[in-house]
Amino acid sequence: MEPIAMLFAWMLLIVFLALIACMFEDLESDTGSQSNPNSQVQLAPQVGQVHRFFNKAISGEAPAYAMYCTIAGVIAWVLLSKGVHPIMAIPIGTIVGEVVHVIFATTAHLGRTTAQKRFEQPIYLDVLYGHLLPIATHGFMATLCITAIAYIQSNLGTLSGLPELNHPFALPMLAFIWGITVGAIGSSTGDIHYGTEREFQDRPFGEGKRVVYHGKITRYAECGIRTQKDIVGFCVKYGGPCTGLTFGLIILFENWRTLVGMIAGNYLPDLQATAGNMAATIGIVLGLMIGIALTVGNVVIVRWARKRYGPFVGE
Amino acid sequence: MDPVLLIIVCVIIGGVLASLGVHLLPVGGAPAAMGTATGIATGTVMLMFGAAMCGLFTASTVATFSNSILLVSLSGAVGSWIMMGVTMLMANIIYVFGTGIVPASGRIDVDPITKESQKEYKTPQCDGHGVPNVSFISGMIGALLGGFGGALIYFALLNYANFEPTTAGMVAMGIFVANAIIAAYNIGGTIEGFHDPKFKRLPKALITCFVISLFCGVLVWLAANIGGLIK
Repeated sequence: MEPIAMLFAWMLLIVFLALIACMFEDLESDTGSQSNPNSQVQLAPQVGQVHRFFNKAISGEAPAYAMYCTIAGVIAWVLLSKGVHPIMAIPIGTIVGEVVHVIFATTAHLGRTTAQKRFEQPIYLDVLYGHLLPIATHGFMATLCITAIAYIQSNLGTLSGLPELNHPFALPMLAFIWGITVGAIGSSTGDIHYGTEREFQDRPFGEGKRVVYHGKITRYAECGIRTQKDIVGFCVKYGGPCTGLTFGLIILFENWRTLVGMIAGNYLPDLQATAGNMAATIGIVLGLMIGIALTVGNVVIVRWARKRYGPFVGE
Repeated sequence: MDPVLLIIVCVIIGGVLASLGVHLLPVGGAPAAMGTATGIATGTVMLMFGAAMCGLFTASTVATFSNSILLVSLSGAVGSWIMMGVTMLMANIIYVFGTGIVPASGRIDVDPITKESQKEYKTPQCDGHGVPNVSFISGMIGALLGGFGGALIYFALLNYANFEPTTAGMVAMGIFVANAIIAAYNIGGTIEGFHDPKFKRLPKALITCFVISLFCGVLVWLAANIGGLIK
């Protein structure tokens, strides 16, 4: 198949992997209660709300995922350099990254919960054992997809038939970049559904969560006492896919505008060095147009919400 | 211009732009994740770092086929701008459709750009919620400046200090994150954008970032010189 068609095909595969990666990243952060809404899980025992939530905010999601993905990327890169097939090298690298993830999850949960002994928050061993596997499996999916993206991008040219188009960064560096980005996006978007809606589900819908509610999280599930597994089942219906879509769209727009710029600027398929500046200019103009469209989209959504919901009417 | 001066000037401009960009982002931190504060529900450094990484990825691709410092830096700027645009828009989609919240600023009564009133849409005992239009536009400008700064540092390291691409990317990231952290300390938690009273603290951060970037630029020059990269 001709290289341009192959480049677009690989780009779409990367977009799909990005969508899956970010969705699972957000759901993993809900499973382990990492990132911003965990402040409420941490605060709950201090205001007398003993709970059965998992509590593992080791760090922000972005540095955490940068670490897991870089470990996976480095191991995969070493195995690839030893001649191991990518089908084996990428999952093995990911498993090593996930081993580190599970160790951190265990120590973080035990450490944080132990520190709350003075507020009579017990360590429920069934909560610890029951959540480690879901954390590992969700994290595995996210890290696997990111490592696969890094592998494809660092070999994009070779896979498409134009070796000059391989990304200049090494595989671990790309894994680090997308690990940081996937964590930043998962933390920025998906957290809202977990923090604003699910953690305070017994509070009025459609308003910001007041400071007086803080720490008073919803501790009872549809059946029995709530754990993080009930939260994942809820967030997977909206927050998770929205987060996946965010990363997928970013990767789509970024790669699409660069590729279209390269084709429209006559850089592809002959890789003429003189056409490079024109290709970059077209890519920049396309990116600016996408950004303006996003700004207009935000204005429309805010206007729609103001008109549909109206001013605040509660107390 | 002398390569030594070019490296130092580019690193300083990049670092100062990174700091300025961070101040313009609407960052709500943990309270935004509960709809208690306006902005994006994550930390300042993480958000800017994520956006800058997106920009760096595109800038490094463009640097393989363009030698223009302006085009490479603008490619990075647009990469960050798209990342922030999509993230803020999707955050608002979750706020509006997932939690039924109207985006409203907590720091101003009237949006200075769209002239929409904010006060009556805000929940009491909250410092605003969602990403109102003024914060969105402020964030877009911040991403553009921050991404431009990050890509400028990368270009200088790649072409003037003659670093290998991956090393240039890592060092650019390091310089960028140092400046972003200084800005985050200056902000101290949450900020809504250029209309926020905290934005007035900007000059202090710019001076600090100037000094830090100057130090980083000299270090880069030393490393390149000792490593024999500058002939």
